[in-house]
Amino acid sequence: MHYTIFYGLTIGAILYFISIGLSLTFGTMRVINFAHTITYTIGVYILITFVIFFKWSFPVGAVLAILAIIPIAYVIERFIIRRLYGDSLDYTFIATFAVALIGVDLIKWIWGPAPYPLSDPIGKYLILFDVSLPIYRVLMVISAILLFILLHLFFKMTIVGKIIIAALDDKDGVRCLGINVDKYFSLVFVMGSALAVLGGIFYAPISSIHPYMGLAILLLCFAVVIVGGMGNLKGTFLSAFALGMLMALTARYWPQGAETMVFIAMAVVLIFRPIDI
Amino acid sequence: MGQDKLFPAQNAELPGAFENITLKENHAVEILAIAVFFLLVTPLLSVHRVTDFMIFCIFAMSFDMLYGYMGRLSFGQMLYLGTGAYGCGLFIKYINGNPLLAIFAGVAFAGLLAMLLGLIIVRTTGACFALINLAFNHIGFFLVLSPLRSITRGEDGFGVSASQIGSLNFGSRPIMYGAVFLSLLLVFYFLRRLTSAPYGIMIRSIKEDETRVRFLGYNTFLYKWLTFALAGTIAGLAGALTALNYNYVNPNAMDVHSNVGVVFACLIGGAGNLYGAILGGVIYMLISNFLAIYIYRWEMFLGFSLLIIVFRFRMGVWGYIQRFWVHKLIPRFTKKEAI
Repeated sequence: MHYTIFYGLTIGAILYFISIGLSLTFGTMRVINFAHTITYTIGVYILITFVIFFKWSFPVGAVLAILAIIPIAYVIERFIIRRLYGDSLDYTFIATFAVALIGVDLIKWIWGPAPYPLSDPIGKYLILFDVSLPIYRVLMVISAILLFILLHLFFKMTIVGKIIIAALDDKDGVRCLGINVDKYFSLVFVMGSALAVLGGIFYAPISSIHPYMGLAILLLCFAVVIVGGMGNLKGTFLSAFALGMLMALTARYWPQGAETMVFIAMAVVLIFRPIDI
Repeated sequence: MGQDKLFPAQNAELPGAFENITLKENHAVEILAIAVFFLLVTPLLSVHRVTDFMIFCIFAMSFDMLYGYMGRLSFGQMLYLGTGAYGCGLFIKYINGNPLLAIFAGVAFAGLLAMLLGLIIVRTTGACFALINLAFNHIGFFLVLSPLRSITRGEDGFGVSASQIGSLNFGSRPIMYGAVFLSLLLVFYFLRRLTSAPYGIMIRSIKEDETRVRFLGYNTFLYKWLTFALAGTIAGLAGALTALNYNYVNPNAMDVHSNVGVVFACLIGGAGNLYGAILGGVIYMLISNFLAIYIYRWEMFLGFSLLIIVFRFRMGVWGYIQRFWVHKLIPRFTKKEAI
């Protein structure tokens, strides 16, 4: 049972890393971003390029991957997402999905469709109450909580964060103050993508790396964002861990049902608290 | 961006608005045109391919009712196709081999499911609608794959062999072709009648502005629910025909990712028009059947063409044909009459 709870926390941490960008993008730009996880997948592939092909150390590769994703995310934001502001939701759906398709195919082109394995970079265990936990996973959960606190501080303390929070509430109001909202939206998008890559880097060693890994987790992240409330940072944090726990508990008793349970939760939430968009 | 960006509302209106000008009650002619089109295409491709195409066109029309006419993008229409296919297949396998009854069973199954889920789903709009459909599709896929494994045989699927009634043998290609052909024409006629009736105007008004329709005193929920159930039922028909056509049902019939295909078909043909759906269905099937052989980077091609459609080509092929018809040809005729 200890393991189950711990694994639930790990899944929750990963879901949180990836969903935070999705939630912010939706909250600020009103764009449902299917392309979100493509940056995540590309980031992970850049990481394995450094780690597996160049034999560099894992942390260096991770930092380089996050840095490398920033221009890619900016290009996607500038040329696709920005054109979709204020557009009907169907078209944003379809356009970002198209970006995801292109990205998946690009990855298959460059790195090939076969999955890559990546081993746990730390490989040590922490013994706690006679349960041995991989340190890597402990680190993951701790950094998720740290990230939550940092983001909270960022949005409460810095002026950039305050502008973004204000734009979440009322975009036109912020624009009326003479602030170039689009610039901040790019920042939000790039930040979300970088955090997603961070999540991907944490996730990569405990799963297999294949071109469709982004699409597989994307639906789960949508569920997290919907359950937590779109654009709601605290809600995203709580729902990521709640759904992660739900997945881990379901997987303990009924392994095939784990993912579907999340969708059932999402359907229930949508039925009782539909979002009006 | 040009016009599409500047006047989104007007452009969205185009196909619907001009329909009443260009096409009056000439359903017989339209059906004849479609029949001739498919009959002409048959020798060029093959009986078996065209059967596939027509089934997909039925499915595309069902999706178009929801997306093109009512403006609700669903990412889970495959659920009803899959339910139709499983309904038909399971009926033949466990109850009775009669193919006609099986088709009926598949359609009824899908229709009932759509009615039931429609009660919940239809309350939502926009992204919520798309995602809740996706969630249900995912749940359906999972149910078929795992908990109902003892009935549905999980991943492997099961064979469907319909028995023969009289000389009606669905195993033979020409008869299957004939059955699909007839159902396509029937569905087209039915939807054409329905969409040019006040009901069609009602669902198009819901697409434009639901609140206003409600202010006028109409029960929009009922109309939305009816459309959802109808779309599900027709998708179920497409599914039942798929099961009989391939003599085989497996969870791919309900695959969540296949939804992209029908969205693409509807958009490229021109959403909001039955011709658009048929044309888009044919174009999509042509691309996926033939282009995939020549273009290795098939997903990338699909992605780029979707982007082009979204940014430059929102009316679709049929929208352009219609605009040409309305702006170039009709003024030429009417000018003469006016003078």
